[in-house]
Amino acid sequence: MSSELEAPLLARWLSGVGITAHLLLASMFIGTITFAVVAEYRYLRTGDADWNALARTFAVIATIFLGVGAAFGTLVEFGLVVLWSNFVTLIGSGLVLPFYFELYAFLMEVVLVPIYVLTWGRFRNAWYHWLVGVVAALGALYSAFNILAVMASMSMRPPGLEIVQLPQSIGQVIHYAAVFTSPAGVLNMFWWGAEEFIFHGILAALILSWSGIAGITIYSHRRSPKPYKLKALRTILPALTGLIAIQGFVMGHLQGELVLQFDPLKLAAIEGMSWSGLRVDPVTSLLAYGDTTHAFWGYFSWPASIRPPQFLPAFYLGFMVAGGVLLGAWSLGLTLYYYGLHRIRGLGWIGRIERLLVGGAPYALVLLAALASIGGAVTAEVGRQPFILVKAVPSTTGPPDITGIPVGPGLYNPTLTLAPWLAALVFAVELIMPALAIYMVYLYVNRRAIE
Amino acid sequence: MNAVWIATVLLAWVFGVHIPLVYTVLGIIWTLPAMEYASRRDGRYNDAVKGIARYLIAIYAVGGVFGTVITVFLAGMLPVFTNLAGVLLWPVWATAIAFGVAVALPLMGYWYRTLGSMSPGRHVALGFLTAGFTTVIPMMFRLVFAVVNYPAGVDVVKDPSSLVGFDLVVHNYWSLFSNPTYPPLILATLLGAVAFANALIAFVYGYRGVRPEAASISRRIALSFGAASALSGVWYLVELYYYAPTMAWAILGIRPPTIPAALAPVYEPTYSLTAAFAAIIALGLMSAALLILSGRIRNRALNALGMLASIALVIDVEEVNLLAHLPYAIIPPVSAAEGLASEYGVSFALTVAKVLSASTMASTLNALAVFVSADPAVLYFSIAFFTLFTIMVLVGIYVVLSWRSSGSG
Repeated sequence: MSSELEAPLLARWLSGVGITAHLLLASMFIGTITFAVVAEYRYLRTGDADWNALARTFAVIATIFLGVGAAFGTLVEFGLVVLWSNFVTLIGSGLVLPFYFELYAFLMEVVLVPIYVLTWGRFRNAWYHWLVGVVAALGALYSAFNILAVMASMSMRPPGLEIVQLPQSIGQVIHYAAVFTSPAGVLNMFWWGAEEFIFHGILAALILSWSGIAGITIYSHRRSPKPYKLKALRTILPALTGLIAIQGFVMGHLQGELVLQFDPLKLAAIEGMSWSGLRVDPVTSLLAYGDTTHAFWGYFSWPASIRPPQFLPAFYLGFMVAGGVLLGAWSLGLTLYYYGLHRIRGLGWIGRIERLLVGGAPYALVLLAALASIGGAVTAEVGRQPFILVKAVPSTTGPPDITGIPVGPGLYNPTLTLAPWLAALVFAVELIMPALAIYMVYLYVNRRAIE
Repeated sequence: MNAVWIATVLLAWVFGVHIPLVYTVLGIIWTLPAMEYASRRDGRYNDAVKGIARYLIAIYAVGGVFGTVITVFLAGMLPVFTNLAGVLLWPVWATAIAFGVAVALPLMGYWYRTLGSMSPGRHVALGFLTAGFTTVIPMMFRLVFAVVNYPAGVDVVKDPSSLVGFDLVVHNYWSLFSNPTYPPLILATLLGAVAFANALIAFVYGYRGVRPEAASISRRIALSFGAASALSGVWYLVELYYYAPTMAWAILGIRPPTIPAALAPVYEPTYSLTAAFAAIIALGLMSAALLILSGRIRNRALNALGMLASIALVIDVEEVNLLAHLPYAIIPPVSAAEGLASEYGVSFALTVAKVLSASTMASTLNALAVFVSADPAVLYFSIAFFTLFTIMVLVGIYVVLSWRSSGSG
């Protein structure tokens, strides 16, 4: 399905794997530093030493993910400069503000997280120490906020941003620019549609990381039960269930409405609307409009050269939606179980499926969260192919025109020769680094357990 | 407030933070295995090696983060330049990052983890191997600096279909290494990094009154490598005089005779940096004198002053090297300008020079500069924020470097 608008498949795979690995590291950092701050808050409120130990452990784990994630971020950043060199011009011409604000967030994380860990127990008033942790965690969230703002602009062109196809290239390299029509327009990188996308992404990061934490804690608790592990689970699981509910019922719905408005081709691709022309789709209509009468343009209404891949329904409906629903149900069941509600009459069935519910939880939580996250990321990023800064322009004669900067001629480095051995090497690094972070966490947790 | 000024302020700040941090990494990565080797029999520097290694692990990521800040500023403030640099020099970036992230980082972690648990000889060898791979990073980034000094290996090809009338092409990447400003630059960098890192070690230990043996050896290393670095700096200046005359003019305050009088307005630097250059000499001499004195007199103020002087020296050197390019982002060589003028006409040569200037690179397609110009409060807030966090980084470095492991003296 490759067209001249596309970049080479190998380059897209390299970026796809790299960004997914970076998302995993970044999500784990966000989740662990947030949990550390929550745990320290509970310690300060209750004086319970278990919470202090949990907070300290998770603060160190967060530092490991931050260190490896920051190094990996450098790899991704240079991947951008080397593979997608012409994206740099787009940053400078229009998309710069989130990158600029990201620097504040980055400094907050990088300076305050080590301070948070190294000054544990050294503050006379422990609330000041907690405050350092809160600001560090806010740095992590603000970092995600800014990067997701850029990702949002890829799928939905911010209001006031115009794509300029240069009448002549600059040095046979730069063919496109994206400029805001007014100086203050750069703030539109954070318009309400982007904010919905951002909060959807931040929730996904928290759900992924807290599912991982919950899964590992359940595994550990089943092998050697300890009160502090139970306390951690009783905090994480209800929060996780709540986040999944908000993600599914509120943010997911709002995201769907945005896709409908800004990229009907993506909607057709992810929903598997494999027809040409307008046709009524009762289910999508009900979800989008609250009735069953609306018609939608089918996937084959647009030319093949701009259609995203046909495998998207597997990632959207299979991984993201089904995975998310199962994850929510599992998390709810676990919440009820760990709060002992299965002893209440009428909920006894939860106890009867304990072996599946709790025994399978370490694998199910991690796997389902990973599938849902990967499904969501692929839906968002592959669904907009072959363009970035996508915008649908209404047409009187057919489906809306889908416009944007094509990733092939618009972004890809024209001088790059990507040899397979070089790509294999980069793939290896992209996979080894998250593995290294997980191994370091394993070593640390083991050492703590021995101590 | 124009785009060039904003870009200059932001880049000057981030270079002033990033370079001292990575200098310490580079200097320490070579010093540690040398110290380990020197103490393989009696273990006299073992405690210092452990303490400094902790600093290395902590600061590598922080230094890298400030490298990312540079990239964001370059992309935000000089997008066309950064885009072209990415396209033209991608193997250079790719090599730097491959060694920086894929090789040096895990090796450094492995070296740190095996400290004390591997045989001394093997561990020293691993340390030098790690140092060698880590050095590839500055070797690549300094190559980019050398290219903007004097774009050896980069050809200007007239192209009417290009918006700027020409294309920049690199036919053979190895030819980039033929840059005459590169050998002295990389040599001064490596020697200077070792000198700087050891000066800091000597001053911090001197200030705290701990580890006198390690302070003494670091003092001697700092003085000898500092002297060698100064000589390399002189060599660099000589090469700039012949190949990057705008820089030499800015630094020395006089127009080098390599610039014909007719081309003087084209090559005239934006800033006169003679005072900053004089400050480099003064700070260098002052640092050396304080190093010598700190070995003889035990005085906290003297060591604190030495620490500040050596940090100021490195920052001053890097700022001069950065600002001396202006008004150019890439300085067009005099010989190339003359060649282009004779082949395509004076007007074309002047167009090339104008396109390569920082003002064209910074003011073209620059949303951040436009936004900040419209709302300067953003810049003022940034300066305050960045200053605060720079101070926190400096304090953090001091705390980690001076941290005593249990039982150390």
